[in-house]
Amino acid sequence: MKDLENGKMSGHSNWPEWVYVGVVIALLCYVGAEAWNIERIVEHVPADAEVIQVIGQQWLWTFEHEDGTKEIGELHVEKGKAYKFEITSKDVIHSFNIHDYVVLLDAVPGKINTVWFSPTDAGEFPIQCREYCGLIHYNMRATLIVEDKGA
Amino acid sequence: MKAIIGLGLVLGLLVILPAAQYVLAAGDEAGEYLDRRVEIWGLFYRLMIVAFTIGTVVSGTIVWLVLRFRESNPKAKPTEYEGSGEW
Repeated sequence: MKDLENGKMSGHSNWPEWVYVGVVIALLCYVGAEAWNIERIVEHVPADAEVIQVIGQQWLWTFEHEDGTKEIGELHVEKGKAYKFEITSKDVIHSFNIHDYVVLLDAVPGKINTVWFSPTDAGEFPIQCREYCGLIHYNMRATLIVEDKGA
Repeated sequence: MKAIIGLGLVLGLLVILPAAQYVLAAGDEAGEYLDRRVEIWGLFYRLMIVAFTIGTVVSGTIVWLVLRFRESNPKAKPTEYEGSGEW
């Protein structure tokens, strides 16, 4: 070919390819760093968070507060306070989900998984198992009841 | 030499990065109050912007390549191999 001189194409440039590669690598680095940072922020539990033990079993949720109060199928919490869930299971793997507060974590037998949240709105919110756990999985539900302070 | 670099990469991915993640990301110091919804959905929307940007760049490049180097493009020149007429 006429353009081929000394093994190189005259007038040929690779820079668009390097820009392309650079942009994609930079964006992927941003994705990794950003996701890592948010995970780090979200996982740090405030010092004054109240611990609530969450136990999943076919097919209901049981909650135990720090003062020993137990609830089945309902969880009462206070608006604006931080709560740390210690989630486990008695039988098979379940998944504890409060959709409205973006809380989602597996309940695994013999293991305690932790996640924390702080409710910002009073009201009732559904809690649902998100890991297929048997015949009545679809109805393994509970209700999160967020109350105003002093209510 | 290549084997050492490869081993280093594998160790880095399997051991060092998860260890650094455990120490730095899930440390013992107390966190601040925050709204998970804001943080997590905010992250989702930012990552969607990146995903669509990369998707646009990649698919745009493919479309441009196909149109620019199609056989019927008047600007298209045969490669050295094609130009020689030896198939």
